[in-house]
Amino acid sequence: MSERILGYSDRLSALPGDAVNFKISAPMPGKFKARLVRLICGDDSPEGPGFKSKNVDSEIDGTYPARHQPILAGSYMWVTARQPFDLPNFTVQAMIWPTLPGNGKPQAILGNYDAANGSGYALYIDELVCLAFRAGKNPPVSTGVKMLARHWYEVYAVYDSGTGRVVVGHNMMLTYHGMPGSVSETQMLAEPMGEGGRFLIAAWNDDKFASAHFNGKIDGPRVSGRALKPAEIERLRDLPLDVELAQYVVAAWDFSRGMSTVKVTDVSGNRYHGRSINLPTRAMTGWNWDSSDFNWQSKPEHYGAIHFHDDDLYDCGWRTDFTLTVPADLGSGVYCVHVWQKTPEGKIEDYIPFFVRPARGTATAPLALLIPTASYLAYANQQMISSWWFDELSSCKFATMSSVDQYLEEHEGFGLSVYDEHSDGSGVCYSSHLRPILNMRPKTDLWQFNADTHLTDWLEKKKIPYDVITDDDLHAEGVDCLRPYRCVMTGTHPEYYSKAMLDALQAYTNGGGRLMYMGANGFYWRIAYHAGLPGVIEHRRAEDGMRAWFSESGEYFMSFTGEMSGLWARNGRPPNMLVGNAFAAQGFVESVPYHRTPESQDPRVSFMFEGIGADEVIGDFGTVGGGAAGWEIDRADTRLGTPPHALIVAAATDFPDSYHWVNEEMNHTHSAVNGDTNPRVRCDMMFFETPNGGAVFSTGSISYGGSLAHDGYKNNVSRLTENVVKRFVDPTPF
Amino acid sequence: MIKIDPQSAQSAALATQFKAAPFGPYSADLQKLLQLLRWGFVRGRTIIICTKPYKEWRLGRMAPRRGLPVEVSEREVFTDYGAAAWACFRARWQEVVGQPCPVK
Repeated sequence: MSERILGYSDRLSALPGDAVNFKISAPMPGKFKARLVRLICGDDSPEGPGFKSKNVDSEIDGTYPARHQPILAGSYMWVTARQPFDLPNFTVQAMIWPTLPGNGKPQAILGNYDAANGSGYALYIDELVCLAFRAGKNPPVSTGVKMLARHWYEVYAVYDSGTGRVVVGHNMMLTYHGMPGSVSETQMLAEPMGEGGRFLIAAWNDDKFASAHFNGKIDGPRVSGRALKPAEIERLRDLPLDVELAQYVVAAWDFSRGMSTVKVTDVSGNRYHGRSINLPTRAMTGWNWDSSDFNWQSKPEHYGAIHFHDDDLYDCGWRTDFTLTVPADLGSGVYCVHVWQKTPEGKIEDYIPFFVRPARGTATAPLALLIPTASYLAYANQQMISSWWFDELSSCKFATMSSVDQYLEEHEGFGLSVYDEHSDGSGVCYSSHLRPILNMRPKTDLWQFNADTHLTDWLEKKKIPYDVITDDDLHAEGVDCLRPYRCVMTGTHPEYYSKAMLDALQAYTNGGGRLMYMGANGFYWRIAYHAGLPGVIEHRRAEDGMRAWFSESGEYFMSFTGEMSGLWARNGRPPNMLVGNAFAAQGFVESVPYHRTPESQDPRVSFMFEGIGADEVIGDFGTVGGGAAGWEIDRADTRLGTPPHALIVAAATDFPDSYHWVNEEMNHTHSAVNGDTNPRVRCDMMFFETPNGGAVFSTGSISYGGSLAHDGYKNNVSRLTENVVKRFVDPTPF
Repeated sequence: MIKIDPQSAQSAALATQFKAAPFGPYSADLQKLLQLLRWGFVRGRTIIICTKPYKEWRLGRMAPRRGLPVEVSEREVFTDYGAAAWACFRARWQEVVGQPCPVK
């Protein structure tokens, strides 16, 4: 398929006066054009409100030189010091847990080999799935014994320049009958190996780039300036280093130190420290993890492994093409930089979104739309079609690729989402916005970002003043960024929350704020932002929940903060405590309407149903499945924290069997798990008052926003929502 | 575990049922049949490719791994998503059962 013009910005949220740097890769030679637009609606589907944007004159409008900017995916570690590893005699060793041996490519473990000029040395797994060593232009030395995936090995190479002898070998930590636990191969090197390049772990040099990325865990890498004997190699597995052998150790990296950082520490005393590139996964169980502790902070010595992947990506590191300094009078809202190039077939274009908030501590409207940027990152560039073996069983549809899906499938290196598995089948824990995110765009599927433009579209149509703030702001500033507002409206799927974010929203509602929860499956997963690295979140699929993949045992605690990840419900804070509702089921074939309940006649909610008949079916229409209740749905449960005084004002229960009950409620497998047989597959619309005059309104449905524009915005979902907004921005205490 | 019997009248009836309503509602027996057709990774199996948003679909299949071109069939172009789903159903039937779907 044809190439795309792509880009990203160095920040998603910007204040007036902030400089936002845009980085563009344009495939056609010559120039590309750019302009600024305010995005109203990104839904260009035939049934939807249509794509709507407003051109905004700005300093970035213009024509720019086109250039291709590459993406260099794949994680590894490099050591700043170079000369110490150009050794006459040496031993390199590590504990490894390969996860994709046999991918047809060499996978480097450690060394300073430079493939561009064939100098230096490296211990690696070769294309034939055997441990091998290569030095200079000498033929590689291989054990000739195939290695197993997901098994711990001690691997080593020993070189003695006096004899020219190389010994390469591995020891299995778990042995099997009929399979040699220890193998080695000895050969002589005829040619000098040369000085090599940078000392890398989990990749080797290819001139100034890295290649031959390793997939799997590496623990306890060591370099010694002597040709060690097998027994001596074994004595260097553990830390602290063997007292007798320590004098020969040039470098011994302890990956259990600084697990929240990109720093890698050499504990040999020589201080040959390094840093990791592209965020390989840290706080991973090491070769010696024995389940005596599940938290890396309690027993870091059992977490000395880093899991490297050939498709890890943190920051594309593209050069800036232009910078927008956000004008003071721009106005808070959702904006995109629109870039485009002419092609022989017509035009290629991209819309790069970012969010402009008002000056810190101020509000220009009583209502804030809280843009769920953390959830956007969680889904960034998701490739569920290829990652999920159960994708069609979950969606109840044959897999259907959009142009975005197809482009990401055909072009490796754009980084993955926390819904995906790496090429080696391990789950993706980190996701950043420092890369083009092709599904965080207008004119894409109605999910997350693009579905949330149904809200901006409706607010603009109704001329309801609003500011936008983002999860990034909420995490960084807490409740302070909410306080200027009488009412906060969420997106359609605010699923991923850090503790700081959840604390802030809870403090807001407890302090008299009004919260409109405009979606479902919100406040579900616990994530962490990195304290030092911008634009990246971490998540572990711990313990329970509707998981795209399973975290390995012992790997439930996040490397960024040490907090246990997984469900907020399993962290003692079910979403019900904040918004009354919690995720009940999902289905993606059709949506259904709500029906009012007797509780909707309560005078406490009379404001909500002004102009809506007592028996009126609510939302039997919409662009997301044809109804206002659907896709993902929530239900109330006082046992999980739904406030006892909450009113379930409307409910949807007519869900077909394509709706599947959430597994965290299913303590034991059984047959009644679908919408047609399970009474817990329901969607509750809810209202309750909070302390100090505040209130919460919960739609409990992702598809709700897709009904707002129906029939020229004259419909009962729109009416009900408008009723709630008007009352929620009214300062009169509830 | 049930198996799809390509010779049985019931299997043909279920295929006819899907053709008439590719997005449901499905009978319990059709749902089971679909689960057999949909079980597992789809890489290398027939899927639907949207070639013009909201307007045009074709059948295709992903290559053995990421980073390679998706095979997009030039044989049939569908302007109705339901028709594409029916064509995908028939292709999957062939892949899973090993014989053509008896319903055209």
